[in-house]
Amino acid sequence: MRLSVSPPGFILRLCLGLVFTAIPLCAQQVSREPSPLPALDLVVKDATVMTASHGTIEHGSVWIHAGKIAAVGATVDAPASAVVVDATGKWLTPGIIDPHSHSALSNDVNEATSPVTPSMMMIDAFDNRDKALYQALAGGVTTELLLHGSANMIGGQAVVIKNKFGMSRDAMLFPNAPRSIKFASGENPKRVYGSRNQLPSTRMGNFEIMRQSFEDAKAYMASWDAYDAKVAKKDATAVAPKKDLKLEALADVLRGKLYVQIHCYRADEFLTEEAIAHEYGYKIRAFHHALEMYKVAGQIAPEGTAIATFTDWWGFKDEAWDAIPWNAVMSMRQGVRVALKSDSNDHIRRLNQEAGKMVHYGGATEDEAIRMVTLNPAWIIGVDDRVGSIDVGKDADLVIWNVDPLSTYARAEKVYIDGDLFFDSSAPGFGTPHFSGAMHGAGDGGSDDSDEDGE
Amino acid sequence: MTNGMRTSSLLAVSAFTLSSALGYAGASGPIQASSNTTTPKTGPIAITGGKLLTVSHGTVENGVLVIVDGKIAAVGAVGNVSVPKDATIVDAHGLTVYPGLIDPDTTLGLTEVAADQNSNDLAEPSDEIMPHMHVADAFHAETELIPVARLNGVTNAVVAPGTDDSVAGQDIFIQLAGRNRDAMILGRDIALAMNYGADQRRRGGRGNSQFPSTRMGLITQLRQSLLDAQHYEESRNAAAKKADKTDKGADKSGAATSGGGDKPEKPMERDLKLEALLPYLHGERPVVVGVYEAYDVESIMKVAQEFHLKVILNHVTHSQEILDEIAAWKVPVIVGPVYDLPAANERYDAVYTLPAELQKRGVKIAISSGEAGGPGGAHTVRNLPYAAGFAVAYGLPYDEALKAITLNVAEMFGFGDKLGSLDVGKSANIVLANGDPLDVRTDVKSVYIDGVAQPMVSRQTILRDEYSK
Repeated sequence: MRLSVSPPGFILRLCLGLVFTAIPLCAQQVSREPSPLPALDLVVKDATVMTASHGTIEHGSVWIHAGKIAAVGATVDAPASAVVVDATGKWLTPGIIDPHSHSALSNDVNEATSPVTPSMMMIDAFDNRDKALYQALAGGVTTELLLHGSANMIGGQAVVIKNKFGMSRDAMLFPNAPRSIKFASGENPKRVYGSRNQLPSTRMGNFEIMRQSFEDAKAYMASWDAYDAKVAKKDATAVAPKKDLKLEALADVLRGKLYVQIHCYRADEFLTEEAIAHEYGYKIRAFHHALEMYKVAGQIAPEGTAIATFTDWWGFKDEAWDAIPWNAVMSMRQGVRVALKSDSNDHIRRLNQEAGKMVHYGGATEDEAIRMVTLNPAWIIGVDDRVGSIDVGKDADLVIWNVDPLSTYARAEKVYIDGDLFFDSSAPGFGTPHFSGAMHGAGDGGSDDSDEDGE
Repeated sequence: MTNGMRTSSLLAVSAFTLSSALGYAGASGPIQASSNTTTPKTGPIAITGGKLLTVSHGTVENGVLVIVDGKIAAVGAVGNVSVPKDATIVDAHGLTVYPGLIDPDTTLGLTEVAADQNSNDLAEPSDEIMPHMHVADAFHAETELIPVARLNGVTNAVVAPGTDDSVAGQDIFIQLAGRNRDAMILGRDIALAMNYGADQRRRGGRGNSQFPSTRMGLITQLRQSLLDAQHYEESRNAAAKKADKTDKGADKSGAATSGGGDKPEKPMERDLKLEALLPYLHGERPVVVGVYEAYDVESIMKVAQEFHLKVILNHVTHSQEILDEIAAWKVPVIVGPVYDLPAANERYDAVYTLPAELQKRGVKIAISSGEAGGPGGAHTVRNLPYAAGFAVAYGLPYDEALKAITLNVAEMFGFGDKLGSLDVGKSANIVLANGDPLDVRTDVKSVYIDGVAQPMVSRQTILRDEYSK
């Protein structure tokens, strides 16, 4: 599990990329003392435990064994050898999960050279030393879905990370997380391609591109089916079609192998997107931004599509003009699964307070509010069986807060991932037991709805 | 304007009409007192039983606040304050009562939809030195953004131009209620908006090889402009004297002396740009200098001191190593936004802790509502109290945080005797909330401006209510 020394390829890249600082940095990489192994058994004792799945336990404790949650309750039956963290007077929550981030993708968020780029793999842009990861970690964020931008109707495939800041790139990947693909519609693709006098420059163009793409994918799948049939019949004349990465990815959407995450804002677009999904036989996992969901939540809820929305951003573009801060709670009351997301290197640091705003805007219970930044985003990413709540058997991704995490005054004090301490605000320097050395400046990373997006 | 705006304009109009129908306060401003507005005759109001956060003199549990003619007439504990017999009683038991919040750095009324150029009047990018741009000329009183901000208890704000230019223009101080622009602008040209740093050296940066493209260029250009303004003033004064002298000479000797002496001079042509700088060179009004990095702060302060400008610093986001120096200058600071991102290799809380660190050093601080990377400056004004609360989480004493979004802002911009605290004689800009005003979970229940209860309605509440049916 422990990989405190980066793989050679990574070191090589660093050495080549940073000529002047390479030698000390690489030396440091290689000679760094391995961090102490996390305790096999750890007990966080006497906290207000917000489980996100089964209410809040006052004066509760959590036993962590080998990186997993072994017990949670008013008392836990941990071995005497367990390391005990006294959290009296403090709050404990599952790690915060951001289902929509573009952090740590260098400046490579959008491959805005074609409106259909499903074979782009965001992992290829992932910079595991980006300062945005650290700043998010200090805000209690333990899992992120790093998405392609919204310049393209069909963007690239996301990477899911655990925010183990200081570990090698590969050690930060969420093991066996489902694959997600980013779609987008509305103003961003219109602007990016319309400004070049290319298709799409309208919403008509937007959606026709999608239909055409899936027609292409169906033809591609049919050509492989025909080939496979010939092979099955031992037809010696069978010639395999060309493997096409783009069409393969689209075919995987139709095969249900990719979670579809769609950036869109307007009520009419949710309806169109669902109609196209029905027409081609795939499911939409979540609408992202989804600022007008409150207008059609009753219609979307039966589809089972979730939303990942801003709390109170509005007015930054025309399609965000009808945004209201009650959107999340109103949609939730209509039966839509609601997550809050950052889409921002700023907000990702304080998603807990964004959840707190939902108590104000619409009267969410604290339980509902905390779920919007833990269990619900975990479901959108497809990892809710492993993270997102404090339940036995789940990964021990936990945050200790000084006060109620939904309050303005909340600070993450300690952040554990897989039972290992990755952030400790009381530690000197960065407060990162696994990280030393130099961080990289943040990539564009912020909102995929900033003015500059996709250009 | 695009469809998004058009389709919603009906709602928009109805919201404003409603507000007007319910009787917006006519604000009478200290600088631009407006003659066409009057404070409505609502009769005295007594807000009783609430927890009063006075800002200036502590907290009064179970307090009473009396409003007469739009002003605070009495403040104190229940029993210690006489309530006029004809007063309308507002029961504030269980509520917190505090002065309306004041955002020191917004673009309210200069933008509607950030991405829609037609709805933006933020800055003139044709030149770096634009002191003759008056925000008052662009301020759009009917903006939908104002009711949205007001619902969370923000009653006043400074409106400044966008930050493209070294000298961007002159700010206004507004009240977030009023029948029209004149009623809402309490003060025009109250401060000069200046900016210094990487963002302003654009001409070289975008493939244009024009001056200025470096910090050297920016500073030189600014210094030359200030010198030009001084020279302009001297020339103008000299010309005036000369004209005066010539006039007097003419009076004494009459037309007979026309053969000799000075010819009457043509009146000196006005230079609006340079003229606009003069009140600031005289130190009559503050300049608000937006600057982030420590070395930039030092550079621009050198110029400011050379010309005796009355400085309010804005941001100082990455200036942790010169906080003592900033304190020694004895200039007020608008800190942050506290949500500005730390630089690479700064500790995660490097910016969060700035308000506390400055306040600790005796600096008068204000906090603004902006958010890093987001649609800040206008759409996020409603989050002002949360920014102050965040500073509390990172060490700022609570009372100082509240002051940093009320009284300190009023004082920095010349409204300290009118606004910012619950004191007798001040405008009755009062907020009632069901808890701690700085907490994200708190609901604002009522907002009074000049003693008039504002409708708790915005375009957003109308949409909410429409789709809740």
